[in-house]
Amino acid sequence: MRHLLGYAIRRFGWMLLTLWIVYTVSFVLMRSVPGNPFSSERTVPPAIERQLRARYNLDAPPIRQYFDYAIGIVTRGDLGWCLRLEDYSVNQVLAEGFPVSASLAIFGLVFAIALGIPAGVISAVRRGSLADLSMMTAAVLGIAVPNFVLASIVILLFVFMLPLFPAAGWGTLAQIVLPAFCLGAPVAAYIARLTRAGMLEVLSREHVRTAYAKGLSNRAVILKHVLPGAMLPVVSYLGPATAGVLTGSLVLEKIFAIPGMGSHFINAALQRDYTLAMGMVLTYTVLLFLMNSIVDISYAVIDPRVKLQ
Amino acid sequence: MTEPNPSAPLLSVRDLHVSFQTDDGLIEAVRGVSFDLARGETLGIVGESGSGKSVTNLALMGVIPTPPGRIDQGKANFDGHDLLAMSQSRLMAIRGRRIGMIFQDPMTALNPLMTIGQQLTEVTRRHLGLSPTAADRRAAEMLEMVGISSPGERLGDYPHEFSGGMRQRVMIAMALSCEPDILIADEPTTALDVTIQAQILELLAELQQRRGTSIILVTHDLGVVAGVCDRVLVMYAGRVVEQATVGDLFAAHRHPYTLGLLQSLPRLDRDQSTRLDAIAGQPPDMARIPSGCSFRPRCPVAMERCETDSPPLRELGPGHASACWHDDAAAAKRAAANADSPSEADR
Repeated sequence: MRHLLGYAIRRFGWMLLTLWIVYTVSFVLMRSVPGNPFSSERTVPPAIERQLRARYNLDAPPIRQYFDYAIGIVTRGDLGWCLRLEDYSVNQVLAEGFPVSASLAIFGLVFAIALGIPAGVISAVRRGSLADLSMMTAAVLGIAVPNFVLASIVILLFVFMLPLFPAAGWGTLAQIVLPAFCLGAPVAAYIARLTRAGMLEVLSREHVRTAYAKGLSNRAVILKHVLPGAMLPVVSYLGPATAGVLTGSLVLEKIFAIPGMGSHFINAALQRDYTLAMGMVLTYTVLLFLMNSIVDISYAVIDPRVKLQ
Repeated sequence: MTEPNPSAPLLSVRDLHVSFQTDDGLIEAVRGVSFDLARGETLGIVGESGSGKSVTNLALMGVIPTPPGRIDQGKANFDGHDLLAMSQSRLMAIRGRRIGMIFQDPMTALNPLMTIGQQLTEVTRRHLGLSPTAADRRAAEMLEMVGISSPGERLGDYPHEFSGGMRQRVMIAMALSCEPDILIADEPTTALDVTIQAQILELLAELQQRRGTSIILVTHDLGVVAGVCDRVLVMYAGRVVEQATVGDLFAAHRHPYTLGLLQSLPRLDRDQSTRLDAIAGQPPDMARIPSGCSFRPRCPVAMERCETDSPPLRELGPGHASACWHDDAAAAKRAAANADSPSEADR
């Protein structure tokens, strides 16, 4: 337990350093691309643009902006006002969009795990059977078909032909099912393949033969002696998978009209909304860091030979 | 041989055939092996890698992966029931309970993700229905019996926290925790240091004396055989080529392969500068076993007949059998030699 605390402290230190680097790089990149938040097809009168710049502290020298903004974030947790979404602060946009995107991501992941792991286990145990073949074919399809295609298909099937779910919107459980399915499908497919490969690898190890020689039932051997070891590659995949699910929800949020963060991310970058883009980047950095730390810890929990560094 | 009914063997294997489907074609790993195991006896099975000695035992335990493996025919009568014809569920009740098994490499034979306490209690809880606390107590007892100090504390340790020899002790504790009638030890010392080997063999011998467990000891080390076995099967290319008591094996062996094995042993009383007399040639490619006697291509005394006919395992005397067409000639020669040196014949 003590080394877990040490690990958490070290990880936190690394996260701060990473955040600072990400902040700096994003700051420089955002300002070095052509255009600014106020450039649009209709030219803003110079006087107004000057006032706008003054209001958002954009008339200060860049190095001043760099520190002023950073101090605001560190001391007040204030990411500033959105430059392009009027009367919205970045914190407000995050507070509204994040829970939505996060719950979509969680549903997608839960769905992916609940479907992928059993599929992988059954495929491995009944290797070469029809079940194995059909599930692995489905997995290849799940990985290959882009989620907007999948989304169109499930909308056709389950909204129009078989009206089980609403086509779009957010707020009820029924509205989450289809987008979560589309979001989780490729992840489920990866998990199924990783689980299957992991199971087959562990099944060929000698300690599994020992377990059978002890007279354990097939079920006990699979669940207690094979599955945990087979989960290690799946666990390490879950870190990047979470990131993928969080950022990959953009298209699905558009298709299913979900008020998540995904569209803000893209719009902020396209419209040079410096503050909103920074808010998004930093939020995702923290999320990724958290996920990877959780993955590392779970790794060490599953495999006692792994020491947390 | 102190059991009430010593005439009935505890385990009686008859004409066991096991094959594997591989990319090279069908491999007949075991081709008609028969043997008996008496109560309290230690039976050694000796042979080169690929001679079928391990496969024989895996088949008895029902842990041959099928496919690619297949038990083609044979019977293994254990306590009135055929192990090979038994349903998986009945076999499960015997595995680990009445027949325990330990494997060659203790580094890989234990589950690295479970504490040894979990792995030890798993057996007794399943077979003896012990409660978690009783199973823990039993596990600690077993660890103490195999010579692991402060066993109670070590139950929570993982296999990687033990040395190789200690892990093999854990394996032995696990295999013996339900007091099985038979312990199958598949090259239990091969992966260990020489000094540890001796300790493990001593431990096995001691535990056997205390409990009267029958042991099948698979090994390629004749030194191990001489130390602990009562009787020996010599296997070659999936067949038993000679079967003898340990005394006969070293003093009155009949088969040229057994002779070759004995001659290839390093000896202290020989000139250290000479090379060991290895058996010429390679073990046969099991996908293309030679016709006739499978040892023929490497046999120094092969005759014409060996090319066409496979020699059967023939009884030569009480507890001694050999599969060689030379038996008569060899026996005659040995008789003559023994007559010359009576002191040797007395042994």
